[in-house]
Amino acid sequence: MTKLRETLVPPLDPAGWREGLRSMVTPGIAIAAWGVVTGVAMVKVGMSVPLALLMTIVVFAGSAQLAVLPLLVSGAPLPIVWVTALLVNVRFVIFAAAMRTYFSQLPWKQRLFAGYINGDVGFALFLMRFGGAPERGTTFQWGYFFGNASVNWASWQVASIVGILLGGLAPTEWGLELAAVLALVAVVVPMLNRVPVLAGVVVTAVLSVATIHIPLKLGLVISVLAGVIAAVVVAPAHVNKSADAKRAA
Amino acid sequence: MNATHDVAYVLVAIAGLTIVTIVTRSSFFMLPARINLPERVERALRYAPACALTAIVVPKIFVPNGELFVSVQNNQMWAVLAAAAVFAKTRNMMVMMAVGMAVFTVLRLYA
Repeated sequence: MTKLRETLVPPLDPAGWREGLRSMVTPGIAIAAWGVVTGVAMVKVGMSVPLALLMTIVVFAGSAQLAVLPLLVSGAPLPIVWVTALLVNVRFVIFAAAMRTYFSQLPWKQRLFAGYINGDVGFALFLMRFGGAPERGTTFQWGYFFGNASVNWASWQVASIVGILLGGLAPTEWGLELAAVLALVAVVVPMLNRVPVLAGVVVTAVLSVATIHIPLKLGLVISVLAGVIAAVVVAPAHVNKSADAKRAA
Repeated sequence: MNATHDVAYVLVAIAGLTIVTIVTRSSFFMLPARINLPERVERALRYAPACALTAIVVPKIFVPNGELFVSVQNNQMWAVLAAAAVFAKTRNMMVMMAVGMAVFTVLRLYA
């Protein structure tokens, strides 16, 4: 056990670790709520308890899990399932690019593990705390990161397991599958604060319904691609316009 | 037919999803420092998650059983609209869930 810990986790400064733990307590409650919803949603769509447990423990990515659920129910081709998860998770690629210099000193197994347990909230907290740090890759920073990640991991896993075990008890008419849709809406709504995102989302929304009968769920991929292109096309014009407005003011 | 009862299908799906988690989260932690994300690519990638989630949520609401269902009688639509409005205002997930489920239940029982 100690050996495994030394292989996967870098040396952690205890003060950093404690600060990381503390700063994650409040977000941990929200993450737990999210975990319960995901757990309930998995069993409510008909997945067996053992498969739902396995999925939440190893996949460890709430939005992606909720997003692929309807695809799994309809037996969508596996590449479509994986591409959908990839699109939802692509934000982590950007996170990793922003955080890499704090971890680049570590051996590859430790970097792989740190990446795997890095969540949305942990990313935001870490860069808020250390974004301006002159020295990158200290034991204090690693301690903070793993303190954060531990609370995040534990609250997610415990809550989603509770959701999986209790979800089956509620009658189907309560519409608890709707909770999964609502949980995803809660992720999208805060993203809708910029014109390019709005444009992309509107184009995707219309096309996702219009292309619903294209076989193999390819309509999903088409509508997302079109949405991203729409957002990119709208983006420069929008950015220039607000820059002009600033200059005029 | 519910494909989640196909154990082999779900197991392979889970294996692939786990790889997706690792590949995206650890991506730039594993790549050599000289490889960077071009700014244009990064900007395009920023839009992908919102679009992908939209492409899942919107058909769930408006094409519930393989048939287009755009109607004032679409209870899920009202529940989602109410919940989204509440969340935009409060940013409180518990409250938005409660409102969404309450609207859905009231419409289901009384509308």
